[in-house]
Amino acid sequence: MAQQTRKKRKGGNSSLIFSNKMYVFLIPALAMFLVFWIYPVLQLFYYSITNFNGINYNFDFVGLKNYQKVLSNGTLTNSLKNTMIYAVFTVTLSNILGMAVAMALNTKIRLKGLFRTCAYFPALFSAIVVGFIWSYVYMPGSGMIANLLSNIGMNGAAFNPLGNFRTALYAIAIVEVWKGFGTTMIIYLAGLQTVDESILEAGQIDGCTEWQLISKIKLPLISSTVTINVILSVIAGLKAFDYSFIMTNGGPGKSTKTLMFQVYETAFTDLKMGRASAFSVMAFAFIIVITVLMLLYLNKREVEL
Amino acid sequence: MALGKKKEERVKPSYMKLTPKTVLLYVAIILFCVIVISPLVIVFSSSLRTPGNQTSPLALFIEFSGASYAKAFNSMNYPMELINSFVTTAGSVLCIVIFATMAAYPIGRIKTKLARFLYFFFISGLIIPSQMVIVPIAQTLNRLGIPNTRFTPMIMFITCSLPFSVFLFSGFMKGLPVEIEEAAYIDGASLGKRFTTVVFPLLQPAIISCVITQGLWIWNDYFYPMVFISKKAQYSLPVGMLQFLGDKENPAQWNVLFAACVLCALPLIVVFLALQKQFVNGIAAGAVKG
Repeated sequence: MAQQTRKKRKGGNSSLIFSNKMYVFLIPALAMFLVFWIYPVLQLFYYSITNFNGINYNFDFVGLKNYQKVLSNGTLTNSLKNTMIYAVFTVTLSNILGMAVAMALNTKIRLKGLFRTCAYFPALFSAIVVGFIWSYVYMPGSGMIANLLSNIGMNGAAFNPLGNFRTALYAIAIVEVWKGFGTTMIIYLAGLQTVDESILEAGQIDGCTEWQLISKIKLPLISSTVTINVILSVIAGLKAFDYSFIMTNGGPGKSTKTLMFQVYETAFTDLKMGRASAFSVMAFAFIIVITVLMLLYLNKREVEL
Repeated sequence: MALGKKKEERVKPSYMKLTPKTVLLYVAIILFCVIVISPLVIVFSSSLRTPGNQTSPLALFIEFSGASYAKAFNSMNYPMELINSFVTTAGSVLCIVIFATMAAYPIGRIKTKLARFLYFFFISGLIIPSQMVIVPIAQTLNRLGIPNTRFTPMIMFITCSLPFSVFLFSGFMKGLPVEIEEAAYIDGASLGKRFTTVVFPLLQPAIISCVITQGLWIWNDYFYPMVFISKKAQYSLPVGMLQFLGDKENPAQWNVLFAACVLCALPLIVVFLALQKQFVNGIAAGAVKG
């Protein structure tokens, strides 16, 4: 009671209907969030200075050794680089593709529903199924693309994108785009449908070209949709794990080891939980910096547009 | 709402006239769709062959047999996995809807710094990939004495879905008029009654969106079951697929592998085709409203 009056004086919650009693509703969600999310995140710091192996609880504290090791053996820089390339590639491609298809479907085209379903369909499949399907598509010799190339008289046997450390990362990023761009497209389509037809007509009367209509009218009007789509795909891109795990197992070499894959491998294959925790802590710091910078930039842009 | 939609359908849209430019658009979009869908068509056609048929999968629909399906069905323990998938997904989604709408109620309605802080507190969970915290999460479950059952992954499904769901519901809640609740308050409705009879029903569009977006990733997730479950009888459909991991580069096994892929995806495809409109609207609403 005393607390309540103090809050009122401070200019806090003085609403009769929406009183502080409502905070009771937070309990289940907050409890789960604290126990299974915040507490483990904090524990990460604790484990990161131990040599815990996941089985033996008589572990020792090793200070900052894990951090030194992660930095010196190059796993962090390698997986950071891979994750960045993967994220930038998937974000760019799936947003361009998603927007282009959405713009094409936002015209008075026939069979719109069918095309939309086709573009969205891959999003329904589990990453593991998608990984299997694309392992076949990329398979050298007898895979889908290799076979098609051979059929049109090209050297299909030489086609092996997953076997080459230069192309493997891009090859799995394309799989992510294939699965993900349909969702992006649906969100763009919803954004485009909010654009007022009369503004476009006014633009046409003023003599705008098709490209000007898109870049000067449509894009600025759906800038909040662009923001949300970019944020969603960046979040997905930084989580890259599935196709490195299913299709390439991090290889060839370490060319498809992403942050998430490296954490999983260090923790569950090498059984170095302490080192994996130190790795996670540093990856976190990086992801948070990237996300905050991106949010600041996008917010600023949205206002400008 | 329903009336408005029906009206929209009744009005025949005027299609574009066929000019060279629109023909080009049609050709481009058809070509694009064919490229996107072709791997799935090939997978489906191969899955209909007998396991021993080694012709190139590019020859479409040359044989129709259920033999590969039978083999995949048996080695997957399909009925059990289907039930596991269904129970964990339905249970998780139900809990998420209840917990997240409840949490969003004070966050969306109270206008204090504390409520604002709680909002950002939950949303911060969106940024960090939860799989990265998997080591301490596993240890936390261990320490709390939570055994590895088919229901253990549900804990993580619910926790990981909370940030987005709270974000979605509290955003939607801010758009709901407060007048109805004020009326209910004057009529003497208690807080709990107001929530269950006034607010919760009004959230329906957001709830559909939440069920679809969260249900989709939970149904398809194999990571948490893979980490938390060790007994084969407790596997859900996507984890069950892991047993085929060695077959993906073995052309001799492809027909069975593809049949398993189709079996794994089938339930969701059926649901999607039946509820296509809700799916598309739900996904869009989830992103645009929030």
